[in-house]
Amino acid sequence: MSITLDQLTKRYQGVPVVNDVSLEIGDGEFFVLLGPSGSGKSTLLRAIAGLSGLDHGRIALHGRDVTHVSARRRGVGLVFQNYALFRHMTVAENIEFALRVRKVRAVERRQRRQELLRLVALDGLDERLPAQLSGGQQQRVAVARALAHKPEVLLLDEPFGALDAKIREGLRRTIREVQRELGITTILVTHDQEEAFAMADRIGVMNFGRLLESGRPEDLYTRPATRFVATFLGAANVLLARQGTDGPRWGAWPATPHGAAGTGREREVVAVVRPEEIEIAHSRDSLSCSNYLGHGVVEEVLFTGALEQARIRLEEAPDAPILAHASGDGAVFLEATRAQFEQRAFAISRGQSVAVGVRRAHVLPTPLSSFTICASNSSAAERLAGNPLLVDLSSRMRTRIRRHVDPMLGASAPGRDSTPSMPGTTVIAARPDVASDARWLLEHGVEEILILPEHAGSPQRVLIHWTDESARGATLAMSASVLRHLAAEAIYVDVLPEKTSAAERSFGIRALLDARSEARAAHGLEIRTEMRFGVAARALEQRLDESPGHMLIVGIASASQLTAELATLLAGPRWPVLLVRREREAPANSRSAA
Amino acid sequence: MRGGQPTVLPGFGLTLGFTTFFLSAVVLLPLAALVLLAASTPLHELLDAVASPRALASYQLSFGGALIAACTNLVFGFIIAWTLVRYEFPGRRLMDAVIDMPFALPTAVSGIALTAVFATNGWLGGYLDMVGIHVAYTRLGVILAMTLIGMPFAVRTLQPALLEVQRDLEDAAETLGAGRWYVFRRVIVPAVLPALLTGFTLAFARALGEYGSVIFISGNLPLKTEITPLLIVIHLEEFDYRGAAALGFVMLAASFVILLAINLLQAWGRNGSVRRDS
Repeated sequence: MSITLDQLTKRYQGVPVVNDVSLEIGDGEFFVLLGPSGSGKSTLLRAIAGLSGLDHGRIALHGRDVTHVSARRRGVGLVFQNYALFRHMTVAENIEFALRVRKVRAVERRQRRQELLRLVALDGLDERLPAQLSGGQQQRVAVARALAHKPEVLLLDEPFGALDAKIREGLRRTIREVQRELGITTILVTHDQEEAFAMADRIGVMNFGRLLESGRPEDLYTRPATRFVATFLGAANVLLARQGTDGPRWGAWPATPHGAAGTGREREVVAVVRPEEIEIAHSRDSLSCSNYLGHGVVEEVLFTGALEQARIRLEEAPDAPILAHASGDGAVFLEATRAQFEQRAFAISRGQSVAVGVRRAHVLPTPLSSFTICASNSSAAERLAGNPLLVDLSSRMRTRIRRHVDPMLGASAPGRDSTPSMPGTTVIAARPDVASDARWLLEHGVEEILILPEHAGSPQRVLIHWTDESARGATLAMSASVLRHLAAEAIYVDVLPEKTSAAERSFGIRALLDARSEARAAHGLEIRTEMRFGVAARALEQRLDESPGHMLIVGIASASQLTAELATLLAGPRWPVLLVRREREAPANSRSAA
Repeated sequence: MRGGQPTVLPGFGLTLGFTTFFLSAVVLLPLAALVLLAASTPLHELLDAVASPRALASYQLSFGGALIAACTNLVFGFIIAWTLVRYEFPGRRLMDAVIDMPFALPTAVSGIALTAVFATNGWLGGYLDMVGIHVAYTRLGVILAMTLIGMPFAVRTLQPALLEVQRDLEDAAETLGAGRWYVFRRVIVPAVLPALLTGFTLAFARALGEYGSVIFISGNLPLKTEITPLLIVIHLEEFDYRGAAALGFVMLAASFVILLAINLLQAWGRNGSVRRDS
């Protein structure tokens, strides 16, 4: 491996800006770090270059641990967005800078300089000053300068940001050619997904300081694992759906008969539908694909040459199966692109009513789909809907919050024979007797409960714990989903009994390592681990009390595991708690549906 | 530039005319009068005034002191400007405003203030005396006053230049293998060199011409702590206008030579870069 990053963490005023990033980049690979501004990608690059320190973690370049090696001895080449050329030096002096520092003889310097200028197609401009060159030429000089000392790794920080489109294209090609010719391992940082697709062997997508996913461009595009990657890489319609036996389905939720709770219940899932996978026809029967989504009105048609872009407003349905988009106001818009042959087969115009179908949908492997607030009266429900943490989460997930008002919440109601349908994660308010509410919901088929104290904000640290090994997979999956939307650190806390023998302790450590590797391998989540001794609930409470800004995620196997001790953790206005109940491992639902 | 484009101010002819008139009336004419007055003095009288031991001693102090003050300001002005540009700390804006105080203060006030602090019965003077450093009524005091009033010139010319030197430049140099001292010498200083020269010139010129604050702290001992402007005033008080003009002429000539030298130095620096790209 050329570059190995192991659990890099960098905090700024207590908030992690680079959050437990681990990554391996192979020899000669062109890796693109993609993310919005403020996602921590540039900080990560600077950390690799040795220009900013780390709070935690290890960096190795070609097997050499360089974590504590200064930037000048790391042997990396760095190219900046604003070129950062030395303006009082000629092109030649700029390129030879690294060689002069190393006291290389003049003859060799000249040779190397000419070689590099040829490589970046700037022969003969040796004696110019940077001010006499165009932006594109200056950036070429910067690339040549960064390569002069034959670095092992080339780092490019938004190198095309200040250039216009035409020049950008040419420079992209040059950089790619140079990179191939030298076979140098390269990391490029950008916020431009088109650029990432054009250049990358592999892309890593960052958000909130976390490396969400990495993979080949085509894999990330067709099979993203997270909402963020799905919407950041290309256009995507992110929809809530029911997971049927043969893929995602849309339409109202059927009532679940009581007793079938938790087992035969259809799960709510998040499906990604690319605009090119949307089919438009004038009625449901004339759709060629079988998966009917709904009816809508064409809001806008844009002709862009080969493709046509349409915006369709979906008609209001009792339970419209769609994530609210950033536009707000509740209206749901679908993006569709159609090729020429589709346009010829069925022409559409503004204001036309059409039927919409889905050819292919990809179901995200996240158990976190939407939120349903459950409260005994509507004012309590409103209060919960305004909770800062819930607002943060739902707006970042761009998902909906449903409200379910039930005055009988928590009371045993023998008269009722069916469970109210509460898809997604159920949200309830923290109160002294919240454990009984939770127990009731768990007994009635709810699998995830978010318990929110009033005014709970986004946490800085999320503690993860499960009381039963069978809940491990589900708890980690849920934790991974939640943490993708929070700038918080994840810590798994295992609690062993007070009088654990040394031999048993080693088993405990083994469990920690297993948890960590499962989190990374199955859910792409980097967690840290801690071991405590004593009664689980007590030990957790102590840990939670150590500093403010915690959230707790607890996995249990059944409602009966909600012991009195655990119940005290749930009550009170101290920290948000997410309860995850799973009696057995959920079936893998990450595969694409036809 | 002459052109058909209408601008806010009236045309080229008028503005150039006004510029010439203003420069003549305010700058050139008085200087010419000084030169004429000096030139009309008999040669032996002129030499007596210009080359007297007292005058020679005053040149030494005025020019030598101004040189030391300007150099001091260059070093500390750089550090102050660097701190203000590079770091964010509580009170930064206040500190930034305080820099301008010597600009705004009447120089006599600075002189009184300095004396209050550094005289043997002042706040610091007494303690400094105990360790053998005498500030008031010595050449050190003169240099101190010159440094004080020249400091804002150095800081204010360096600040914008340092703002231009972006962090990235240092980072780039560091990843290319350069150590701190190398970066400072080869990247930062060359980038701000024109501003350094300008700041130096301004601080030097200001120190050379300073009168008000110096006379309070210098004690004005002939041959020891007497600066040339003071000597001119002494001549004037004796109604010896010719002697005053002669000394004035020497200062004028010296200032002119120094300005010329620094301008040539800057032009040479610029030409150097232009020459290279031919």
